[in-house]
Amino acid sequence: MANKGGIEVEGTVIECLRNATFKVELPNGHHVLAHISGKIRKNYIKILPFDRVLVELSPYDLARGRILFRYRT
Amino acid sequence: MQTTHFTSGEPAVVITRVAPRHWHALDDDVVAGRGEATTRPDGRTFLSIDAWHRSVFDRLADAMLADLPTPLYTVVDEVHTDLTAGWERAGFTIRRREWEYVVPTRQRPAAPPPGVTLVPRGSAAEGPLRELDRVIRAEVEAGVGWQEMPAEVLPRPAGDTIVDPALYAAAAEGDEYVGLVRVVQVPRLPRIGLLAVRADRQRRGIARALLADVLGSLHAAGIPTATAEVSEANAAATALFESVGARRASSTLELVRHGE
Repeated sequence: MANKGGIEVEGTVIECLRNATFKVELPNGHHVLAHISGKIRKNYIKILPFDRVLVELSPYDLARGRILFRYRT
Repeated sequence: MQTTHFTSGEPAVVITRVAPRHWHALDDDVVAGRGEATTRPDGRTFLSIDAWHRSVFDRLADAMLADLPTPLYTVVDEVHTDLTAGWERAGFTIRRREWEYVVPTRQRPAAPPPGVTLVPRGSAAEGPLRELDRVIRAEVEAGVGWQEMPAEVLPRPAGDTIVDPALYAAAAEGDEYVGLVRVVQVPRLPRIGLLAVRADRQRRGIARALLADVLGSLHAAGIPTATAEVSEANAAATALFESVGARRASSTLELVRHGE
């Protein structure tokens, strides 16, 4: 059986919060609190409000997530 | 594939090295965490760990550190205190700090010194630009070392340091270039990636003129701000950016773990 990560979903960053956390709005209107992934951090990719991002939701808490990718548009 | 079982802590996970530079922490068949090692153009190995639980972070760190030779590096956003604490538990210590500045593009023009002309971004000749880049990198390497400069993470062809000459503006004196600045147009927020002047031409206002020129171009294009990373130890660069109204927006820590 293939290993499963969290559910991946596109969203829009709506707020940069303290402690390197971002509030991301999902297409269904739900909000998740997300950190950036280590790969984004290592590559110095900046996340700003209104950025479209790919978020992996935590399998343990669907209100938490991790930003895996920032789309260029 | 190397596998290590951990049954203590929450959740119980199995750490598996799924590829030479990738590790997974598995909670049954759920990936509870991932670790990755990457090598920068300067040859240093940087680690990252994404985990949903502190205990999983620690297990991944243990496994990765057991598999990899030191020194090892990582970067953290300074305000991400939980992550910083995780790396410190793994034996990492703070090596250097980099400030991220937000730089207003609206600037008063700064004329270059007599005999120096500015070559706009995208118009720099490739030969003199590459020659200057080689000179500057040799000077930096002979001085503080390139590892003390803001990070460069994009891979480059061997022996090449300029991936895209169109990103550079330059300062010319006679037939040679004596200063350069690279501006990367990332979406919505341009980044000043490198600003440098030959050692024997410094303290004449060339860097200030170059910076004002590229910022003015961005302002003319309707872009109000840019970003720049500056090493905390680089007093000259810090003074230059703060003199043009740049403000500190965040900071990044580079951490290192040396061998036992």
